Amino acid sequence: MTVLNRSTRRTGRDRRGPSASGTRMWTWFMLPGTLWMTTFLLASLALVAVLAVGTTDELGNPRFGFDLSSIRAMADPAYGEVLLRSLGYALATCLICLLVAYPVAYTIALHGGRFKHALIAAVVVPFFANYLVRMYGWSVVLSDDGPVLAALRGMGLADGGTKILNTGFGVIAGLVYGFVVFMIIPLYAALERLDVSLIEAGRDLYGGPVRTFLFVTLPATRQGAAAGLVLVFLPCMGDFVSAQLMGGPDQIMIGNLIQDKFFQGQNWPLGSALTMLLMLALLTGMLGYLRRTRKDEAEARR
Amino acid sequence: MPPETSPPARRTLLRAAAFGALGASLSGCGFAPARIPDDRERAPIDVKIDGDLVYFNWADFVDPSVFKGFEKEYGVKVIQSNFDSMEGMVAKLNAGNRYDVVFPSAKWAQRLVRGNMLRRIDHSRLANGDAVFGRHSYFTDPWYDPDSAHTVPFTAYKTGIGWRRDVLGDLTGSWKDLWNARASGKVFLFDDRDEVLGMAALALGLDVGTGDRDDLDRITSLLKDLRPHLRGFSSDSYNNLLNGNALMTQAWSGDMAAMLNQAKDPSVFGFEAPREGTPINSDCYAIPWNARHPGTAMLFIDYMLRPENVKKNIEYIGYPMPVAGTESTYAALVEPFPACVVTAADLKADLFFRNGTRTEEDARDTAWTHVKAG
Repeated sequence: MTVLNRSTRRTGRDRRGPSASGTRMWTWFMLPGTLWMTTFLLASLALVAVLAVGTTDELGNPRFGFDLSSIRAMADPAYGEVLLRSLGYALATCLICLLVAYPVAYTIALHGGRFKHALIAAVVVPFFANYLVRMYGWSVVLSDDGPVLAALRGMGLADGGTKILNTGFGVIAGLVYGFVVFMIIPLYAALERLDVSLIEAGRDLYGGPVRTFLFVTLPATRQGAAAGLVLVFLPCMGDFVSAQLMGGPDQIMIGNLIQDKFFQGQNWPLGSALTMLLMLALLTGMLGYLRRTRKDEAEARR
Repeated sequence: MPPETSPPARRTLLRAAAFGALGASLSGCGFAPARIPDDRERAPIDVKIDGDLVYFNWADFVDPSVFKGFEKEYGVKVIQSNFDSMEGMVAKLNAGNRYDVVFPSAKWAQRLVRGNMLRRIDHSRLANGDAVFGRHSYFTDPWYDPDSAHTVPFTAYKTGIGWRRDVLGDLTGSWKDLWNARASGKVFLFDDRDEVLGMAALALGLDVGTGDRDDLDRITSLLKDLRPHLRGFSSDSYNNLLNGNALMTQAWSGDMAAMLNQAKDPSVFGFEAPREGTPINSDCYAIPWNARHPGTAMLFIDYMLRPENVKKNIEYIGYPMPVAGTESTYAALVEPFPACVVTAADLKADLFFRNGTRTEEDARDTAWTHVKAG
């Protein structure tokens, strides 16, 4: 592997002669983005990592230092429990988003006809509104006297004591509503790219609609689904708005605890340490995704 | 990754690391020990116009017509900005942002005073200063700012229980009312560490801001007992009561008074100040040491203290203000909820949330995590 790599690199350098200026141009194009990401993302991330072992002065202000007490404080089982709960919510949200988004993306991509772009716009435009505002709206819709419960009561599906707000169901509903568009768009892109003749071929080969879907359409759009899952999973894990507005006492997510540390707790080191823990969990998930896509790519090249 | 792009990527990486280090060191300045302003920089200022007013407060805490009047009378502009938490406000001040007038709560005023972040205010230079300090003697030497040397009180308020009188009827006037079986499942506590721990401490007869581990263990187990009755932690008491999600909630007196304006029929609601004691709090005016226009800020504070403006603001936000001659305005406003009135005895009971030592704060923080995470 390494030998192969070295030899290709050498040939790469040999080939650089004619295309060197082109490469240099692309390097320059990369510069603004790289600068932006390093100053605002990597630097602040490094700062969080450093503060995780920092201290707090008497006034509650974070200070640089070396103190492992916040790392030790994370051993408290409460954090593990809440992290697991967040993981559960995020996974449930991913699954529901997939189930909701696939038919939507499928219908728009394959049967949208000339309304395709209008339909996608109809899906995306509501998401231009601020996330917090949408969540507030959602909490009104799901409230005890809100339209959803009123309709359910009218149909006899709910009684006076039924509630959605401040339950786990409410939190997941909020998360799904908040992030489902991140699932629809990559799925739509994948389905849009899908060669329809493949489906026709499947049907010609006597595959029923279900078999064709399972063995032709689904595998062909797997990468879109994987991208969607990652895009939904990452923000869900760190979310605190949905649990705050739609959760009850037993639905606190890790994002809420982290927010508490930075605000009321005035304990930035512990907040930073928890952030790093969360990022570690997310990174593990991401690595799985990256390995998967690399394997897919390798298969595609073969 | 195609091998051709490998060499530039490595160079970019190095460059990125360099810039990253630069960025970290720049932004890191905020967490290095800050320069302490000397005495001269914090000296009292003359009351004269020295520019537009840069105002920094919670949103909607001053009647807009009061701003208009100030702008007209002194020919300056009021540049408004808002914070959404005390922590956010102090973080902005620490980061070096410059405001002319800020509104910290007592606990945060103490921190700012201790950190030498505020200018001294000479009360004798305020034409309306006597209406505050002459009448409401508590504020001549409050715990958060000895001799009120850096602050002027703005509002005072307490924490009690707001409830739906039409559903639950009368309550017993104790914090134990939160355990009311008929409200079970529709009870909210504030999403606020001090208020929740303080409520339980008062119910148990402990110090309102205790940082003692044994006390805190008793507090967490009492709150564990309340947990099954709770619907959630939310500081939006006013809306939770109005939209029917809450039958009972911890509530700030000012919010309850403001709710009276919103409710179609105020008699369906009640507000009580439990007999075990109610946490008390106050916000104040303060001028940061690095304010660009401290003279205008002094004029603004003086203008805000004029009785006619105080009355307007009281009616606008529903919080009482310790200014002589406006007490009856507030009493009339909260006539349905007499418990909203903050008396001299309330202040003397001294149930303020204070800044604990680091160990105490950490212990309280851990307790709060356990209360919230369950």
